[in-house]
Amino acid sequence: MSSSNKKVKFTVGIGIIIVAVVALALSGFKKDYAYFKTVTEVYSMGSRAYDHQLKVKGDLVKGTVVKTGAELNFQITEGGQTMEIHYIGTDPIPDTFNNEMDAEVVVSGRLAQDNVFKAERIQAKCASKYEADYSGDAQASL
Amino acid sequence: MSEFGHIFLTFLFPLTLFTTVVAFMAGRTHRESLYQASRNGVYAVWIVTTLAILALEGLLLQGDFSNAFVYGNTNRALPGFYKIVALWAGHDGSLLFWTWIITSFSALVVFQNRNKNRELMPYVIFTMMGTTVFFATLNLFVANPFDTWMQSMGGTMMPIAAQDGRGLNPLLQHPAMIIHPPVLYIGYVGTVVPFAFAIAALITGRLGTGWIKITRRWALVSWGFLAAGILLGGKWAYVELGWGGYWAWDPVENASLLPWLTSTAYVHSVMIQERKGMLKIWNMALVIGTYLLAIFGTFLTRSGIVSSVHAFANSGIGPAFSSFLLLALIASVVLIIWRRDQLRSEEHFESLVSRESGFMFNNLLFVLATVAVMWGTLFPVISQIFTGEQITVGPPWFNTIMIPIGLAVLLLTGVGPLLAWRRTSVESLRKSFGYPFIASIVLLIAFLLAGMRDGWALGSFAISFFVMWIIASEFLKGARIRAKNTGENFLQAMGKLTMKNTRRYGGYIIHGAVVIIFIGFTGAVFNEEARQVVSVGGSFEFGGYTVKCIDKGHTQNENYRTDYVYLELYKNGRKVDDLRPQKRLYFASEQPTSEVAIYSTLREDIYVVIVGESQDGSQAIVQIYRNPLVKWIWVGSFIMVAGTILVLIPNYREKRRPVSHAARARKEVNA
Repeated sequence: MSSSNKKVKFTVGIGIIIVAVVALALSGFKKDYAYFKTVTEVYSMGSRAYDHQLKVKGDLVKGTVVKTGAELNFQITEGGQTMEIHYIGTDPIPDTFNNEMDAEVVVSGRLAQDNVFKAERIQAKCASKYEADYSGDAQASL
Repeated sequence: MSEFGHIFLTFLFPLTLFTTVVAFMAGRTHRESLYQASRNGVYAVWIVTTLAILALEGLLLQGDFSNAFVYGNTNRALPGFYKIVALWAGHDGSLLFWTWIITSFSALVVFQNRNKNRELMPYVIFTMMGTTVFFATLNLFVANPFDTWMQSMGGTMMPIAAQDGRGLNPLLQHPAMIIHPPVLYIGYVGTVVPFAFAIAALITGRLGTGWIKITRRWALVSWGFLAAGILLGGKWAYVELGWGGYWAWDPVENASLLPWLTSTAYVHSVMIQERKGMLKIWNMALVIGTYLLAIFGTFLTRSGIVSSVHAFANSGIGPAFSSFLLLALIASVVLIIWRRDQLRSEEHFESLVSRESGFMFNNLLFVLATVAVMWGTLFPVISQIFTGEQITVGPPWFNTIMIPIGLAVLLLTGVGPLLAWRRTSVESLRKSFGYPFIASIVLLIAFLLAGMRDGWALGSFAISFFVMWIIASEFLKGARIRAKNTGENFLQAMGKLTMKNTRRYGGYIIHGAVVIIFIGFTGAVFNEEARQVVSVGGSFEFGGYTVKCIDKGHTQNENYRTDYVYLELYKNGRKVDDLRPQKRLYFASEQPTSEVAIYSTLREDIYVVIVGESQDGSQAIVQIYRNPLVKWIWVGSFIMVAGTILVLIPNYREKRRPVSHAARARKEVNA
């Protein structure tokens, strides 16, 4: 086999694999993407907000968590605006969810026309997870 | 004690910097006294870091809640064991722990090479200590675990001592989580050693296989620890997070996967360089890339760059890491360009079907996987830059790309080791792969007839069977031949065979473990789940099992309150297990957690988690999952670790006894 012939074979082999992976990446992107926004950013999207899968981040509003069996409704807030969330997913509700917790929440799903967010997934990050937040407790100890 | 810690860290920073500079000068001037000074510097750095770790452990055990780190991660009621491991539960402590591991490795490398590699060592010390300088800077200025916490009172800052701490995050109070971070950190830090030798080789121009041979074990140890760390993390997520899965393509998970992918590519392609003197620049790039990805992984885990770009900009740790990564990258690239003439390949690829090209395709796939995972992980950041909006991709995107790549790699796992160097004839292909190929086609048809329709699952099982057959026949063939030649019995022959070439047969065992783990992954295709309301005395059917609810109630200890449900699991009318899922509320952190209950067999896991209770509290609501084959992942993990240990053992050398060794052996067998 001549050396240039070999080179062609290798180039073609490698090329096919790379093209295949890029094609997979693009097709995967069509199936699954979401805009990652805060509450105020979602509202500033206008009607576009209803057309896309969204991930919305905000702080849990204390006292708004209503659990009925495995059903869950709550509100999140950010930048002075709040959003009503209705959980329609099947995964168990994160343990951090209760009315007393300081938690940052990321919900994935779609915004319905009535501006209630239908969440398929909820991720809650307890504020104290890695970085301790010392406010509040200080008074208690004095 | 906080003051002692501060003093150690204040001392550590200049000492590390000094050692780095002296080591570099020792390399430049070849002066023995400077080299000795840099070696002593490394030992001193290790001692100071160890003292700092001990000081922090002292604070944790003693429960000094005026210390911010102790306050944030422990409380009085926490068991002593968890107080000790709280060291790596929080941000600041875990970074100090990172520093301790790298200084320990530096000291070990200096000791190992006390009479060897005199030319390379100054620059090895320079590189390792240079990395340590960076972490020591973070420890002192950005994430100092010895800071006391201050309260602003009437305009002045005052240190405050609390009565009790906030407690260790309950999710971390689990054995797998206790060993997962150190194992992963050892894997991360282990990548620094091959990198340091690579840089030393580039600077000194000693670019033969010397540096590769010296660091072979380090690269493998780091690879093994990364693999074990990732798998332990999956195990922890599975048993502790309560969503029924073990991997979610979360940025933090991906951060650990990235250096492992390039490291896997390296431990394969390095064999071509050792054997044929090819791919020198490529290997250099993989070692450097693995190191950068390990640092990047630490950074990704600790900075929050992906979950929020804003947090990244504000945390102070982000710019520091980015600058360091950029500096290391530029320095490495400049060095490679400078030495490019000496990094030319000595030979070229001869055939598309050969061992070399098998390794090359393996590398191509691993690097593409790395790029894909990195792209997906950083996509929010990338899209922010180009469109002004953050766009995320989730598990379906990753699975679309990674499942095909994974299966291609799995296939190579079986095929690659049997290809001949240079070129492989059609005849030998037929001999090596004929039977297993036919057998796996038969299996495929059998599964189709049995009603399995998922293409990926069929492909995965067929490839797994194919590869397993090949690996098993390598052991059997080798043992049969050896038994015939030496007169040993079959098992003895297999053991000796393995110990005589640990690298080869250990490699096969790791490959076998990969197959077993893939079979476990494939089980996810058949997962089922259901939500059930259960009341005491009631029962329901799920996935071929009958689940009876026996009891429901709550208990309490000083650390947490527990709500539990007691279920009995029946199969075909016979009781197979008790399941007691719990919900706990930890008092110190006021954080609730779910304790899942799992009935695990090789066939499937039945996994139950409490998700709530009815309004009047009389009934519990549980989520129940049937996850087929998950146990194979954990079994495969153990085999993988065993295989890695075997690869690290030097080959057993038989004493040559020319006179009738075989005859004597036969006599022993007969007797």
